[in-house]
Amino acid sequence: METQAINTLTGVIDKKMTRQLKQYLDICARCAICKDACHQYVATGDFTYLPARRAELIRQIYKKYFTKAGEFVPALYEARDPDENLLDELYESTYACTGCRRCMYYCPFSIDTAWILSAAKAILIAAGKGNEMLGQLADAALMKSDNFEMFKDVIIDGFKDVEGKLKELTGDPSAEIPVDKEGADVLYVALAGAHSILPAAAIFHEAGTNWTLSMFESANYGYFFGDAEKARRIADRFMDEAKRLGVKEVVITECGHAYRVAQFFHEAWSGEKHPFKVRHILEVIDEYIKDGRITLRPGAITEPITYHDPCQVGRNGGIFEQPRDIVRAVATDFRDMTPNRAEQWCCGGGGGLVAIAEMEEFRLKSGAKKLEQIKATGARIIASPCENCRLQMEGLNDQLDLGITVKPVMDLVLDAMDLPR
Amino acid sequence: METYLFLTSVVGVYIGIGVFVVGMAWRIYQWSTTPKSPVKLGLFPKPATATGRGAKMLKDTFIAPHSARIEPVMWLFAFAFHVAALAAFVGHGRLVVEYTPLVQLLGSDGMRTFAAWSGGTAGIVMMVAVLYWIARRTYGPFKQLSVPEDYFLLFLLLGIIVMGNHMRFLGHVSAETYREWFQSLLVFRPVIPAEISGSNVGWSLGTHMLFVNVLFVYFPFSKLVHTIGAFSANLVRSE
Repeated sequence: METQAINTLTGVIDKKMTRQLKQYLDICARCAICKDACHQYVATGDFTYLPARRAELIRQIYKKYFTKAGEFVPALYEARDPDENLLDELYESTYACTGCRRCMYYCPFSIDTAWILSAAKAILIAAGKGNEMLGQLADAALMKSDNFEMFKDVIIDGFKDVEGKLKELTGDPSAEIPVDKEGADVLYVALAGAHSILPAAAIFHEAGTNWTLSMFESANYGYFFGDAEKARRIADRFMDEAKRLGVKEVVITECGHAYRVAQFFHEAWSGEKHPFKVRHILEVIDEYIKDGRITLRPGAITEPITYHDPCQVGRNGGIFEQPRDIVRAVATDFRDMTPNRAEQWCCGGGGGLVAIAEMEEFRLKSGAKKLEQIKATGARIIASPCENCRLQMEGLNDQLDLGITVKPVMDLVLDAMDLPR
Repeated sequence: METYLFLTSVVGVYIGIGVFVVGMAWRIYQWSTTPKSPVKLGLFPKPATATGRGAKMLKDTFIAPHSARIEPVMWLFAFAFHVAALAAFVGHGRLVVEYTPLVQLLGSDGMRTFAAWSGGTAGIVMMVAVLYWIARRTYGPFKQLSVPEDYFLLFLLLGIIVMGNHMRFLGHVSAETYREWFQSLLVFRPVIPAEISGSNVGWSLGTHMLFVNVLFVYFPFSKLVHTIGAFSANLVRSE
């Protein structure tokens, strides 16, 4: 391999080197306890997807170029160059990973494979092998903010349409979807599409919240693509908006990775403390229910219903109970999956996989464990607060014609609210 | 025999301990001077207080309850190995200084019996665990994932354990004699008692020490640094 190419790629590792990464690369015992933690490895039996193997590819470069022992005796560690072969396998295993971090949960040393793979993504991007679709989606999001004046009217027109529906739904002609409202308490950051705006708007309206809707969607393809700089700039779009409007809190819609980016990554990336709180919409709705700010018809849903913990909301986000409390408040037959909460199986749709067309077959195959869990509950409705999870589980449902409905949790709340419709 | 023992059980020990201490210090220095990412990588649920996080880290490191749930058999062997290794390490402390209160408690015959049983059990448990690990690495994904380092370390451990067991089960050299040898190293006036070099365990001590020295030299450059790294990595889990 050419020295210059090697220097470029090892330079990327050097830049990504943190204490956590260094320790993860130094201490893995290759015990492979992680193999049964990964839904992709369990469903396919393919070595490429064994978590420790994914990390091992980075370790092979690290050993050769960052450790004396690996430099002198590369054979002992199978240390090697980041050549085409390695990069191709790295692409396969890295962009397939949903970042669910179930392997980290079971690892005796708590090695965060996803953290190692964030270095892998940086290497792939530097080698010109970043996933194209995710890269394009990230660039599109930034294009929107860089040329915002061009898009602004179209966006606001779209919100007006949703506002019309809100008036119908609530039967209140004064109901509105405030945009760009200075002095609002809450900045709600939705996804592209009315489905993530309308239920929240109705709930905020009912609760009498002084809120405003972000002009930007919370989805962050820069994060999935693996470019931390782009990911930060994508999140900056609504974080800057929140600062400008002076809101007290930023509420992220039912989305997994966006919540995690806003709550746990953005401050670290930008090096600044947020002058506002960040919460997930379900934390807010749960509070409204418990404070009596919205009233629901108990027993509005009688069909058996289950809840899927999205990895980025549950194990990686810490929100386990609020969504369950909400579901229990509206449904009579709630059935938890086994295992659940921190040990829940990833559905297979995370990490941006639902956006990558060529991944579809693999993605649905990797949902085998989730499918087993869903079937075991006998539920007819699955509630889940993550768009990627819902798309994946809908895919599983369609593939096998299970006749199950997959819904955002706030849709259930909407169904149980006394609205004229 | 005298030359072999001099190289492995005198010179080698100094080299082994020297490289180990400097190497581990270098490793820890490297870790501590690499800036930590401000991104918090913790998993939920996690304790709210620093004390809680510390307690969870210790539990995760010493008990690894999550690993136990996902692969109980592997966990059992790993747990048994580490407990036995700790017991063996503590037992080897008698080379430095006799555990006098324990001798007073058990009597010198009692101490010999206790040491024979505890040391013997630890040796057997470690041997069985290492054989299990070697066997596990001979098939399927475990084999695919293994690199030469893994086998090298396992066979090195096996060699150390088998030689140790040979001295424990087939040797007749007393702890006092071994202590005489080891204490002489500590005061830099090395002596190998004739009772050792002239016995049936002279070569097994030499080979035991040869492997131990190689292990000590290699330790800081191997995955065995998990003995220290596991603590901080498990702490990151609760951040």
